[in-house]
Amino acid sequence: MLSALQNPRHAATQLLNFGLILSTAFMMWKGLSVIADSPSPIVVVLSGSMEPAFLRGDLLFLWNRNIFEETKVGEIVVYNVKGRDIPIVHRVVRKFGVGEEAKLLTKGDANVADDTELFARGQDYLQREDIIGSVVGFIPFVGYVTILLSEHPWLKTVMLGIMGLVVVLQRE
Amino acid sequence: MHSTIVRAQNVFGFFTTVAFIIAALIAGSDLIAPRTPSASVLVKDVQVVRGRPHYYSSKKEEYAHIRFSLSADFSSLFTWNTKQIFVYVSAAWPNSTSSELVNEAVIWDTIITSPSADHLLTLGPAAMKKLLKSSQGKSIDPSRGKIELKNQKPKYQITSPTGKLAETDGVVLKVHYNVQPWVGVLTWTPQMEFGKWEKLKGGESKAFQLPALKPKKSNSANKS
Repeated sequence: MLSALQNPRHAATQLLNFGLILSTAFMMWKGLSVIADSPSPIVVVLSGSMEPAFLRGDLLFLWNRNIFEETKVGEIVVYNVKGRDIPIVHRVVRKFGVGEEAKLLTKGDANVADDTELFARGQDYLQREDIIGSVVGFIPFVGYVTILLSEHPWLKTVMLGIMGLVVVLQRE
Repeated sequence: MHSTIVRAQNVFGFFTTVAFIIAALIAGSDLIAPRTPSASVLVKDVQVVRGRPHYYSSKKEEYAHIRFSLSADFSSLFTWNTKQIFVYVSAAWPNSTSSELVNEAVIWDTIITSPSADHLLTLGPAAMKKLLKSSQGKSIDPSRGKIELKNQKPKYQITSPTGKLAETDGVVLKVHYNVQPWVGVLTWTPQMEFGKWEKLKGGESKAFQLPALKPKKSNSANKS
């Protein structure tokens, strides 16, 4: 009887711990998001268009505040093309004007041409609001696991299976 | 609990902690490496011509071709944590309403890899062999980062959103760099002295005026 009473208690503690880990991770992500003023303060490089500076799987830290100066030519920015949800990491190569209305043009270091072709129809330049952050920090390779998971969906199943197995085995 | 899984977890946790601390130390070591870059840029020949942004466009814009000479020494930027430096020359010019250089466009750029990152470049086999040979046995090659360009053709012809550029006054060429580390913080040409990092010596040309539009000789080819 005592064990029956203790078992749900144990299960509840585990559930609580699990929830704590999840919410800590979530709050750290959101906190970083507030500090950097960016909806996605950490991004993984998905393409080779900035090689050799950034390879696929590298982790980038973004900063989206203009405290001392505006986003300027030479900075590497992450932007979203209007109507599409894929963030692109490229370097600003042209800037015309100042402030929110400034017209920005970007280019990947490894690309021959600038990004005019990548932009939405009728969009010739980016504006500050299209940019979700400038790259300030760099850690190589550690983001590669997310690329593996998205490219090989069966890996997710395998991982879930292994985790489930671990939980079952640990109970023994 | 001393199960295999707990042990594996501990080993993994220890590994990530150590890797993180070593990475942080390496990133921090950037600060104690002095940086004393210098550059001088000279405007050589400037032309403004009319052209189309791409083949199928009917829009005509004015394009400036700015030839320049560049003599620069960025060798002090290469340390064990440098992956590459990105050097770029930009033209900056003011608006009609303000005297500040509010417009800026890159006219030439280059990537200089550290010997440790040479293998990441996409070069032909012959060029790659030559590059690897130039720094054989050196983790930091003292000749890397030295640039001597004479009357260099620009990589990019610049224009402005209005399509008008001829006779713009107060144009300045500027040299910038961006240091890409193996791990840590990316840095650009500093605006002020920062610890052991000096400002870029020189790196700006005298202000010049873009010439008037060059009269086009072959007008018969494009009637549109």
